[in-house]
Amino acid sequence: MSDQQRNQSQDVQDTTSDNTTHFGYKTIDKEDKVSMVAGVFHSVAKQYDVMNDLMSFGVHRLWKRFTIDASGVRPGNKVLDLAGGTGDLTAKFSQLVGKDGKVVLADINSSMLNVGRDKLRDKGLVQNIKYVQANAQYLPFEDNTFDIVTIAFGLRNVTDKDMALRSIYRVLKPGGRLLVLEFSKPEHELLNKAYDFYSFNILPKMGELVAKDGESYQYLAESIRMHPDQETLKNMMDNAGFEQTSFKNLTGGVVALHKGYKF
Amino acid sequence: MFQQAFTSSVELLINKVLSLNTSKIDLKKLEQKTLTIILSELNFPISLSVNNNKVLVSGLTERADCTVNTSIKTLQELKAEQQLTELIKQDKLDLTGDIKVAQQFTNLAESLNIDWQSELAAHIGDMPTHKLMQLGKKVADKFQFASKQIKADASEYIVHEKRLVVTRSQIENFNQQVSQVSNQVDEISARIEALTKGLSNT
Repeated sequence: MSDQQRNQSQDVQDTTSDNTTHFGYKTIDKEDKVSMVAGVFHSVAKQYDVMNDLMSFGVHRLWKRFTIDASGVRPGNKVLDLAGGTGDLTAKFSQLVGKDGKVVLADINSSMLNVGRDKLRDKGLVQNIKYVQANAQYLPFEDNTFDIVTIAFGLRNVTDKDMALRSIYRVLKPGGRLLVLEFSKPEHELLNKAYDFYSFNILPKMGELVAKDGESYQYLAESIRMHPDQETLKNMMDNAGFEQTSFKNLTGGVVALHKGYKF
Repeated sequence: MFQQAFTSSVELLINKVLSLNTSKIDLKKLEQKTLTIILSELNFPISLSVNNNKVLVSGLTERADCTVNTSIKTLQELKAEQQLTELIKQDKLDLTGDIKVAQQFTNLAESLNIDWQSELAAHIGDMPTHKLMQLGKKVADKFQFASKQIKADASEYIVHEKRLVVTRSQIENFNQQVSQVSNQVDEISARIEALTKGLSNT
């Protein structure tokens, strides 16, 4: 992040109040964020998988595999893949929980949900998957429903993250666990600089070329910088009631996997 | 994340190999069963699960029906049920859980029969495949011949040549003798020099 960008993000963090939140580096009314984020994802939904592969050079598949391995999923488990988008995690969970288990793919965005549903049906994954359009802050499930909840690259787009974490805690069964896979803060300064250059100079251009939407990918880069760092997110999970919270940096901290239990 | 890259590649490879088998493989018996393999050479577990006639490879250990602790070398020997029991007896393999799951996975590996020639021909054509296979056979024969030759040479060396090779003590003795001669030569040279000096003074 350049000094200007860093100052900008600091300014935004300082100026948010109870009624405002971030949309990238912009400060907006909380009630506007859902529709603005929805606009971004309606726009990128069809090219989402291609762009993920391009932007991460395919490494996002390994980050997601790491999440699955860390989940400890068993046959018969009930899993909620929140902000599940195009269903990468759902596909794997569906196979691992088997016919006695259940996976709910939930996303606030109907376009992403449609792309995910088509993709999973094309793969023949139908019998144990349910699709729910839901806001992470107001999960439409009973208390103590799921063994595992995952949210991969989705939490930073949520308007009120604390509220979402409390909502997730509510729907988890005692003994259940939350896994948050999200962009984070690189551990080394050199990597941080290279990552910033890539995010703010190359990524939006790739978005412009492939998805014909540079603005959405500019938002992506900005939203990553505005997302809480590893320790802050861990504290947020603690405050929401999760226990034994921990995080593991992946690819030098570009992405981090946070894990917490409900007991 | 080497583990994830590794399991991902192995999963792709196993399912590709299964799809190439000459007869359709039925994995129903193994449906929702998991075999976890812990190899001494790797610092992470490999879990093989079956779902919808596909093998899933992960690092999940919580779901194992059977866990096998062994090494890559032993795994290569593991080709039949009888060998499985034999290897357990020899303490080369430690098994916990349902032995039938391990046996069924072993049987699956045993039953694989892939017609590589037909598979290759489908991609590059009959003639190139035939030529490639001939070339492959020639190269394999040459390697086999070279390996036999090396083995024969080595055994000949061990039987005949080794007897003629000097031992370490013989070399040490020889070195000692050489240094003794060298000392004697130095002494004679010093004596000659002294005598020559005495002669020139008179």
